[in-house]
Amino acid sequence: MGDAFCSDCKRQTEVVFDHSAGDTVCSECGLVLESHSIDETSEWRTFANESGDNDPVRVGGPTNPLLADGGLSTVIAKPNGGSGEFLSSSLGRWQNRGSNPDRGLILAFKTIATMSDRLGLVATIKDRANEIYKRVEDQKSSRGRNQDALLAACLYIACRQEDKPRTVKEICSVANGATKKEIGRAKEYIVKQLGLETGQSVEMGTIHAGDFMRRFCSNLGMNNQAVKAAQEAVQKSEEFDIRRSPISIAAAVIYIITQLSEEKKPSLKDISGATGVAEGTIRNSYKDLYPHVLKIIPSWFAKEEDLKNLCSP
Amino acid sequence: MNGAHFVTSPLQTRLIRLSEAISTWWPSWRNNPSGIVPTIQNIVSTVDLDCVLDLKHITLHSRNSEFFPKRFSAVIMRIKDPKTTALIFASGKMVCTGAKTEAQSKLAARKFARIIQKLGFPAKFRDFRIQNIVASCDVQFTIRLEKFACTSHGAFSTYEPELFPGLIYRMKQPKLVLLIFVSGKVVITGAKKRDDFYTAFDNIYSVLAEFKK
Repeated sequence: MGDAFCSDCKRQTEVVFDHSAGDTVCSECGLVLESHSIDETSEWRTFANESGDNDPVRVGGPTNPLLADGGLSTVIAKPNGGSGEFLSSSLGRWQNRGSNPDRGLILAFKTIATMSDRLGLVATIKDRANEIYKRVEDQKSSRGRNQDALLAACLYIACRQEDKPRTVKEICSVANGATKKEIGRAKEYIVKQLGLETGQSVEMGTIHAGDFMRRFCSNLGMNNQAVKAAQEAVQKSEEFDIRRSPISIAAAVIYIITQLSEEKKPSLKDISGATGVAEGTIRNSYKDLYPHVLKIIPSWFAKEEDLKNLCSP
Repeated sequence: MNGAHFVTSPLQTRLIRLSEAISTWWPSWRNNPSGIVPTIQNIVSTVDLDCVLDLKHITLHSRNSEFFPKRFSAVIMRIKDPKTTALIFASGKMVCTGAKTEAQSKLAARKFARIIQKLGFPAKFRDFRIQNIVASCDVQFTIRLEKFACTSHGAFSTYEPELFPGLIYRMKQPKLVLLIFVSGKVVITGAKKRDDFYTAFDNIYSVLAEFKK
């Protein structure tokens, strides 16, 4: 129901909209003013109690502000299984040949996603790593660098910034082909680039043995008592002058705690596998810790006699 | 004496020159309350011999030189006194390393130039310049590096116990790098003059004393 100008009556007349045929008809003379109108309401019915899993209102994934066009373009996937269809495989090839400014970025994001999946990291860390990578890529000077090491270093920095540090050895294990040295160098490079870009923004605290305690202990299947004792022990050990890497101290503390507990004791090899520290290093760190063991291990966990039973290094 | 004036009188200039001279051959005269003075470990210097050299000829006619063109395109020559090593390039440029004082470095470079001269090349001694001085010292107390990296000096420090056990401090004024270890040993590198690292050590000592363990 509305008013429109009818060309036959030559004046404003009342106009009826017929929904079933999609016609706009003049009520005075019957002339069809517009036909085939397109109904833009929704094509489905939405019920209050229906699940939101296949909500047809939204299409596509979440927009990614890091990509150039917000991730709106369509990508043709490669058919898995026998690619008998000539058309789909050619389409895939033709799409990739086109100049896509984001192709390197998308590939890098995919690699970071794979690595963080293997480590079991939350999406926050993955997004932060993507952001760091984009900021570094914006400055063109990273062309000739080892891409794997660069991506691994982005992930390492993202973990550090979220206060959930991962040892370089852990990152090494999921990064294909990057050595500890390369990742270290790439990390220094990224920190310098980010510092150049913004004033002095890169905030990364030093690592402490306590950050890794929880993860190493649960990898070895220690019970709650032992985990708490280990965390306390590592806090106390920071006051003493032990010149070892924090990871080695953590591994040695775990060794002491597990030797003291009654349950099945993991061997040096198991601890070495869970922490990434070599067996010889754990032995040497144990030698360094042994003089202070009475003060480090909390008294509610082990009595003095148990400590005396500890094998002397 | 007005603190705001930057023009020094002739007397002041003479006093400054005198103190510099004394510092060179009596380093502990400087007013560092701790009395600790860094000792030089290595000096790297370069000099231009100003003539094209035939490296193969040099290697064949001198005793203490090695030359592997596939590995590195320079002759590596060593002399016993002062105990130094020189890298001699075909363009006539030479790098002299291993000396313990500036005078020794210059003397060694002159000895190398004399050897090249004796082999028949018209070597001169142009642009002798000290490029880098490495010094080390001990502050005699253990240092809390994690605390140091967290403070306002954190902008200049890099401390990654996983990667390297020492803290890398990049000082802006004078521009050099200090490696600070938990044991209290400090390595200073990147200085071009002796005074630079004396100043640097003075600056860092007062800061380090706060972080004694």
